[in-house]
Amino acid sequence: MQSTDDKTGGPEQWFTRITRELSAAWAISRKDMITYYIKPNIIVMGILFPFFMFLAFAIGKNAPPGTLIPGLIAITLLFSASSIEPVSIPIERRVKTFDRLLSAPISLHSLVFGESLSGFLYSLGIACFPLIAGIILFATPIEHAPVLVIAMALTAFCFATLGTLFAAYPTENVGEVMSMLNTVRLPLIFISGVFIPISEIPQIGQDIALFSPLTYGNDMITYAYTGTSLFSPLLDILALLIFILIFQFVANRLYKKFNE
Amino acid sequence: MHAIEVSHLTKRFGTLTALNDVNFSVDVGETFGFLGPNGAGKTTTIRILTGISYPTTGTATIFGHDIGRDTIAARQSMGIVSETSNVYDDLTAWQNMIFSAELYHVRRDIREKKATELLTTFDLYERRDDKVHGFSKGMKRRLTIAMGLVNSPLLLFLDEPTSGLDVQSNLIIRDVITGLIHEGVTVFLTTHNIEEANLMCDRVAIINRGTVAAIDAPERLKKTIQSVQSVVSFDHSSADQLADVSRLPMVNDALKEGDKFRLYTEDPATVIESVMEYARSGNLRVISISTLGPSLEDVFIKLTGLQRTGGMVHAID
Ligand SMILES: Nc1ncnc2c1ncn2[C@@H]1O[C@H](COP(=O)(O)OP(=O)(O)O)[C@@H](O)[C@H]1O
Ligand SMILES: [Mg+2]
Repeated sequence: MQSTDDKTGGPEQWFTRITRELSAAWAISRKDMITYYIKPNIIVMGILFPFFMFLAFAIGKNAPPGTLIPGLIAITLLFSASSIEPVSIPIERRVKTFDRLLSAPISLHSLVFGESLSGFLYSLGIACFPLIAGIILFATPIEHAPVLVIAMALTAFCFATLGTLFAAYPTENVGEVMSMLNTVRLPLIFISGVFIPISEIPQIGQDIALFSPLTYGNDMITYAYTGTSLFSPLLDILALLIFILIFQFVANRLYKKFNE
Repeated sequence: MHAIEVSHLTKRFGTLTALNDVNFSVDVGETFGFLGPNGAGKTTTIRILTGISYPTTGTATIFGHDIGRDTIAARQSMGIVSETSNVYDDLTAWQNMIFSAELYHVRRDIREKKATELLTTFDLYERRDDKVHGFSKGMKRRLTIAMGLVNSPLLLFLDEPTSGLDVQSNLIIRDVITGLIHEGVTVFLTTHNIEEANLMCDRVAIINRGTVAAIDAPERLKKTIQSVQSVVSFDHSSADQLADVSRLPMVNDALKEGDKFRLYTEDPATVIESVMEYARSGNLRVISISTLGPSLEDVFIKLTGLQRTGGMVHAID
């Protein structure tokens, strides 16, 4: 039997508490991996969709495909990272397993974090395909490999948390969450400088671009590949971290609010 | 300290009052039943006590921990078995157990031992590596309860544990719960099955439309009812006999149950005499006659104002 008293706040108790929270979060994301990584709607939204977007742009722009690799990695991260939770959480609401997570002796932050973790790992795995394709097929050079790793990780985590945030909407219907999410993430492709440079879109679009996490993710990934970018990589990191924190806290509040 | 203490709990969903000023406490080691028809507010109560839902007003503490403010500590010693068997279909029985143990921070060295022990108890160990997907309703129910016990809870919430199950699963579940009660585990169970409440609970709260109508030991609840029942059967029965026997002197109410009649009265001696008289005049033979004390069902009907419809109000599954 475990101790039921977590109120005493010595450093040791805090350490125990944090390890417990993290291992519970890890258990949640492992469960998601086994259960949801191969669900059809996740494969369609997370893998096929970015691939066809890429084809459309590559054909339309007549640009050498190799130069489109950074943008392809950015949207692959966006679509795969944010597709796990909007599928898994409504399903879990319907079969009531979500109540297990809501009634476990863990903080809501760990629940949000654990859910996001599975989207994060999934999208990093998926983004390896365009990464490797770039290297093998088009011999796209990478200027700053360590920056690329950081850029991909932060972008992935940011969009995974965004997916968890949208999944807070209290429905048992996957389609409902997905369509809300798509009204946000589809426009992001066009205003965040992924395939159309930000300088080429109308002023209002450029203003909105500043509020899109994809702008910073894409900017940093482009920097890692080419060495040139709109903002400094440090600013990109800062912006992505701020988005992650905002999404985490808003998600936490929404899950609490919608738990009547 | 009480295991559960609930004070002035009210829960509204929009204009619907699902719980209306509910007060009760459950002692450590006690088996406490929430008995009420569908929609009475039983599940809502459990959801609030486990911190999934919040009360509109009022408070609840679990072993002294306020469920709203000290949620994690309050939950650590709980086992929760919800109304639907909420297992992960795409995981195996074993993975389900381990996942549940991880959520409750059960130590690594204890996890596997506990999972083995519980799966064996619930007769699922042979199937531990099968995905739950193909399990029967009863097997899923047993796994749900096993998952609720993986952290060796001091307080177990059971929301309709045996509702609609096969006999084998029912027997295993009742056995396990009885064992836990002997070990001193506090049990809070909801049921719409009157016999279950009568058999298992130290005390029962009868709840209807969000209001607790009475809380007491089953036997003491029965004592609040005056009437006793005489069960009579004749050598041939027909439906119109019901109207006749219900008009006999001192019979308050009469029911036809199969080939028998159940007569409610406060004066069984007079009723037996008039039944014999009725039988003689109608050329019938009385095959058997017996007199019973009031049942928990009578208390339930009296307090909830539900109607007897044809036979039983309770669902014996
Ligand atoms: N989330 C909810 N939103 C609106 N009404 C609800 C909700 N949950 C329960 N109710 C209502 O509250 C009442 C009590 O429900 P419940 O506690 O599930 O009953 P029981 O478990 O006793 O059958 C019912 O009328 C039910 O429709
Ligand atoms: Mg219920």
